[in-house]
Amino acid sequence: MKVVDILSSRRLQLGVLSIAAVFLVYMWITNQPDNNPALLPPISDIVASFFTNLNSGNLLSALGASLFRITMGFFIGTTLALIVGCMVGWYKTIEYLVDPLIEAVRPIPPLAYIPIIIIWFGIDEFSRVLIITIACFMVCVVNVIAGMKNVPQVYVDAASTMGASRFQVFRTVAIPAATPFIITGYRIALGAAWTTLVASELLAAQNGLGFLLQEGRRYFATDQVMMVIVIIGGCAFIMDRIFRRIQAYLMQWSEARE
Amino acid sequence: MPEIKVNDLTHTFGKGSPNALTVLEGIDLTFETGSFNTIIGTSGCGKSTLLKMMAGLFDPSDGEMTLDGTVIKGTDRRRGMVFQQDAVFPWMTVAKNISYGPRLRGASKSDQREIETKWAKMVGLTGFEDRWPRELSGGMRKRVDIGRVYANDPDVLLMDEPFGALDAQTKERMQSDLLETWSTTKKTVVFVTHDIEEAIFLSDNIIVLSSRPGRVHHIEKVTLPRPRSNEMRLTEEFLEIKRRLWGMLDH
Repeated sequence: MKVVDILSSRRLQLGVLSIAAVFLVYMWITNQPDNNPALLPPISDIVASFFTNLNSGNLLSALGASLFRITMGFFIGTTLALIVGCMVGWYKTIEYLVDPLIEAVRPIPPLAYIPIIIIWFGIDEFSRVLIITIACFMVCVVNVIAGMKNVPQVYVDAASTMGASRFQVFRTVAIPAATPFIITGYRIALGAAWTTLVASELLAAQNGLGFLLQEGRRYFATDQVMMVIVIIGGCAFIMDRIFRRIQAYLMQWSEARE
Repeated sequence: MPEIKVNDLTHTFGKGSPNALTVLEGIDLTFETGSFNTIIGTSGCGKSTLLKMMAGLFDPSDGEMTLDGTVIKGTDRRRGMVFQQDAVFPWMTVAKNISYGPRLRGASKSDQREIETKWAKMVGLTGFEDRWPRELSGGMRKRVDIGRVYANDPDVLLMDEPFGALDAQTKERMQSDLLETWSTTKKTVVFVTHDIEEAIFLSDNIIVLSSRPGRVHHIEKVTLPRPRSNEMRLTEEFLEIKRRLWGMLDH
């Protein structure tokens, strides 16, 4: 798509319009004479806070710490989910063995593990990555299992009658047929990673974006809190966009591709 | 030498349970090497079940089937199957679908290319090799299915109402093209359909199954000359067979 096409797309225009509307309403409210800037800081303050934290190096180090945790937790959690999900979804024996366990543990919000993890491992990097890993694993594994169980039987039969072994069917049919589910699992896991990251940093961290939020609250620096919220939103948005690109590439065969 | 034999086969779904349903009973059949055989019967007569058992997708509750004297157990590449549903892998291009079987057995890149080119041509898909299945019509996807099974070089071709979902004109084209492919390879075909005209046009032998439970009711030898042409569909001999078979199927 050419730049001109993108700019003239109705979808983009309306998207920009809605964001601009929120922005303008916010500006209008903060410009009212009786607005309390300590509760609703004007945009100029938020931008100033951004540059202050950027120049002091606080923002980049917080961003670095958070992105590291997200990446580690997301990568380990989804990889485990892929392995476990494939086994559970493909082998009946393993399913009967492991599925009740997953179903029992699944409704527990990952944040509920924070106290026990702190007791066991202390407040350190490992604990925070572990919580994100658990969160990513739990949401992703369910999708991988669903994907494996929804492989159309006719594809499995077609491959078998052409002489494919059970493992060949798994590799050449089940995995690609389950890809749409697996990718969805990864995308949901990314969202879960952000949620648990901020929560774990709010509770127990000396750095990271969640810590910056907490610090802003403690010193009543609402502009800093607002700034970090926008940064988190931006990062999560960019990551999701990258993911959609990967999805579009992997799903070029699909009717339902984006 | 008779290639596929079905010996006193009976199949009961849920055998032993109060809801047990016997779909096939005492089936004895022999399919000669290189012949084109069609099984017809009303829906629910167990014809698809019989075909799936011949493919090895599941075992009959009683009796057995043999291919060249060896008992059929489980699936293998000697018995290829074309399904009623669309079984083309949507995540592979047309070419990759066609060379799927050889690739399973580690065929070299150049062998794969050769097979892809040859079978794309045989089923009339030259020029579409790099397309995704979603870009093709239902008829063309069926061609991919058939090309893929042929490219896998089985001894027997099992076809379960492969043209059932196609419009009348596409169906006639596909039937003629299938006969052409069949005549160049002379593989044994067992074809299931509920379309009497399709059965007569394609077959050497038509097996009529009665329904619930399915039993062999009649075997019709079709002696129309080959190659068959669409004009034959209107000949007296063709219509005579059609009338006879029509009377046998319970409507």
